[in-house]
Amino acid sequence: MTNARWWLLLAVLAVACVAGLAIGPVPIGVVDVLRALTGSGDAQAVAIVRDLRLTRVCLAAITGAGLGMSGAALQGTLRNALAEPYLLGVSGGAAVGAVLAVVAGLTAAVALPVAAFSGAAAAVALVLVIARVASGRADPRVLLMAGVVVGAFANAAIMVLLAGAGEGTVRNALWWMMGSVAGAEWATIRWLALYAIAAGILLVAVARDIDLLALGEDAAAGLGVRVSNATRRVFLLSALLAAVTVAGAGLVGFVGLVVPALARAFGIRRARELLVASAVLGAALVVGADVVARTVRAPAELPLGAVTALIGVPFFLVRLRRAA
Amino acid sequence: MITIANAVVRYRGAPVNALDGASFEAQPGCITAVVGPNGSGKSTVVRALIGQVALAAGSARVGAFDVATADRRAMARTLAVVTQREEPTFPLAAREYVMLGRYPHHGAWSALGPADTAVAEAAAARAGAAELMDRRTDELSGGEWQRVRLARALAQGGEVLVLDEPGTFLDVAHEMAAFGLLEELAREGRTILLVSHQLNLVARFAAHIVLLHRGRVAAAGAPADVMRGDVLEPVYEWPLVVARDPAVGAPVLIPLKRR
Amino acid sequence: MPRGRPRGGGRIAGALGVQGSFPGRSEPVVFSATCRRNRRVALAPALAPALAPALAPAPARARALVLSLVLSLAACAAPRDDRASRETPDAASRDVPSAAPLVDDFGDTLRLARPAERVVSLNPVTTEALFAMGADARLIGRSRWDASPPEVRRIPDLGDGIQPNVEAVLAARPDLVVLYAAEANRTAAAAFRRAGVQTLSMRTDRIADLARVLHALGIAVGGSAAARVVADSVRRSLDAVGARGAGQPPLSVFWYAWPSPIITIGAGSYLDELITRAGARNVFGDLAQPSPQVTLESVAARNPDLILAGPVSSARLRADPRWRAVRAVREGRVFVFDTSLVGRPGVRLGEGARSLRALIDSAAHALRASTTRSAP
Repeated sequence: MTNARWWLLLAVLAVACVAGLAIGPVPIGVVDVLRALTGSGDAQAVAIVRDLRLTRVCLAAITGAGLGMSGAALQGTLRNALAEPYLLGVSGGAAVGAVLAVVAGLTAAVALPVAAFSGAAAAVALVLVIARVASGRADPRVLLMAGVVVGAFANAAIMVLLAGAGEGTVRNALWWMMGSVAGAEWATIRWLALYAIAAGILLVAVARDIDLLALGEDAAAGLGVRVSNATRRVFLLSALLAAVTVAGAGLVGFVGLVVPALARAFGIRRARELLVASAVLGAALVVGADVVARTVRAPAELPLGAVTALIGVPFFLVRLRRAA
Repeated sequence: MITIANAVVRYRGAPVNALDGASFEAQPGCITAVVGPNGSGKSTVVRALIGQVALAAGSARVGAFDVATADRRAMARTLAVVTQREEPTFPLAAREYVMLGRYPHHGAWSALGPADTAVAEAAAARAGAAELMDRRTDELSGGEWQRVRLARALAQGGEVLVLDEPGTFLDVAHEMAAFGLLEELAREGRTILLVSHQLNLVARFAAHIVLLHRGRVAAAGAPADVMRGDVLEPVYEWPLVVARDPAVGAPVLIPLKRR
Repeated sequence: MPRGRPRGGGRIAGALGVQGSFPGRSEPVVFSATCRRNRRVALAPALAPALAPALAPAPARARALVLSLVLSLAACAAPRDDRASRETPDAASRDVPSAAPLVDDFGDTLRLARPAERVVSLNPVTTEALFAMGADARLIGRSRWDASPPEVRRIPDLGDGIQPNVEAVLAARPDLVVLYAAEANRTAAAAFRRAGVQTLSMRTDRIADLARVLHALGIAVGGSAAARVVADSVRRSLDAVGARGAGQPPLSVFWYAWPSPIITIGAGSYLDELITRAGARNVFGDLAQPSPQVTLESVAARNPDLILAGPVSSARLRADPRWRAVRAVREGRVFVFDTSLVGRPGVRLGEGARSLRALIDSAAHALRASTTRSAP
């Protein structure tokens, strides 16, 4: 991938971040935004830029990068261009965890993210167990099917939980499930960034395996990959990364699906580059989506998941047309 | 050198063993062919060598490596496998695909360098795929793809080569060229193991033939010893005769119509 | 009719918890009080003991007749307001359901041969109103969310008010079910009617709704006069709140209704009306919905003078560093309000409005003090 393309990708991310920092109901000029970032200037502007907008941009970037990388890794490993982290039961499990926390009335700020992450982890473990019981190894088709089944079961569980819940509980739960970075605060962002970066580095470390797995199981085995272990490893890392993003921002769909395809359309093919490019593009996409979400219907905000879906669906139609 | 000793493999839920105590050797410097009817365990041998199935009993060794315990990446530097079918999920340039063959020589963080590029180009030239390097893998014909895959296997740089049905998709010219190449590679000291249906071709190029029947070795030896009607007919369960083809003097299998 | 100021007597901290003193003997003096416009006096608690016997079934009819005579005399002295009355202006209303059909907010017609005697009220507003009217003896069931007045706990809890458990309610054998007119309750209302039970489905979203609800309840339980008294007293208390201190410039208020997502109140809510009556301005009053969702930055952009929140929410607000972007939080102008007073547009609205007024006054005072301090 040429340097020019990388600079272009980074430029897209930069533009998205600047937009995220400069756009908002309180009018602050770009120059003042930059000054506020350093901590100087009007106190109100500093508070707005640093505590409100910068937190949203950071959380959105982490979410997008995590989902983009996760999707890129999974599509190669599972040998399926339609694979995305939410198909593995991650989103369903996280939602069950979060709804349980809401129904139980846990109000601590860490309650929802921790519960969501635990739910996602449980769902992923369940998927792996199902795959092992069904086929004795990490077979991609079985993984995908198990993920869909676990997701469906999670949906049923959520309906049961919400059926008897009060109006406030339902509102809380629905709001979380629709995805939003409005709840971004530095304490959670620090943890999320830590986990996301760790998982991201580990994924890049196994990028070779992803390239080889994409050729097919036997071919990968012939090139020195322990297929079952490698599949499981990538699966776990991707699911963890996705779970981290869900814990922070709720369900933001389509990113893991669309971003790797976009990166490939850019001409990026090798897994390591694809992972990094997906991270950059994913971050830019979600940061941009957040700007749209809180501007289009100000002062209300659209659910982030809705905006990414609105971007994702036409994208899909275009690709289907081209494939047909 | 490949050594299979009393290998037993049973697939999950299968009523019988796919390999039932098979033992044979593939020596360096010549082509060894594994033949047999469908379900005799030919592809299972290949899968066992790449570690996709575990041996329930017995052992399989490739050079110094024991397949069950070896570090796969190290083994991939010695053993290159061209499987029956291969379809990359996402299309890539043939050149990039051949370069993937160099991965076993690098760890997770080291990058491919110009030395690798040189090896890959040489391998492509050897396999007769040099002019295909700039094409995309999803744009290649069956035969072209086969040659590119062979290039990739050569790029791995190992001394052992295992091919599962290499002649599929190849027309006469390319098939002969491929087998000729394998002969050359064998002469250079490599161990070549072929799995094939094509008894007649195998009889001309292989120095050693292993006939599998229901997971066991029914016969093993030079083509003249194995390519005999009384040996082949009970295994293939079909009336046939083995003649000697006058042009090249190699045994030729002629299946008869069942009366 | 004696027109003295009410003397002696203790506080009556009745259902409305109003501060004021009443004489021990309620009837005539209380009614005279209604004729004096400027009294911030709630009548219901005083009325309750008086009217309860009047609303008792059958035997006390004679007493009821005498009482209704007195009531009608009082009513003629009270300012006539036909807004709440859909019946004939004949003030000598007998406590029997009017012949004119009453159509509720679902379009169903209320047909009762006699005042309802077994009432299930599945709406905290109507439950509270029935207590205020002194008709609580007829209540045989309530919704689980009804919490006011405290006596309501002795009424059996029959489940949810939205999408109620029809069977559980029917098991109590009511002759009237009072519902909140939410779309989600339409099927339940139809189910009750099919089972032969009358329903009264009323919207209770805005202050004006309360008068209609009281009127309808009055007809349904045969306590129209009591209902009118309650309605009048609420209206008066609301007017009184608005009347005081009307000359001061309105402060802007942000009402923090819900933390996640951030929900406030818009022009469609009675709380918005309440804020206006209390002499302030809702910063999000330009939004039409009753409960709009807003972003934190938009709150900061609109820069409210003060923030009103429930006790839990206000603690969260002060603890969350991001809210410091809002000047009112930085300068400590976050005030706690009692959600039980204003949680619904019920008969305690007047009191709620008054406490709101008090909050806003103290906030205005604090604001003035800080500006004078910071002025050079």
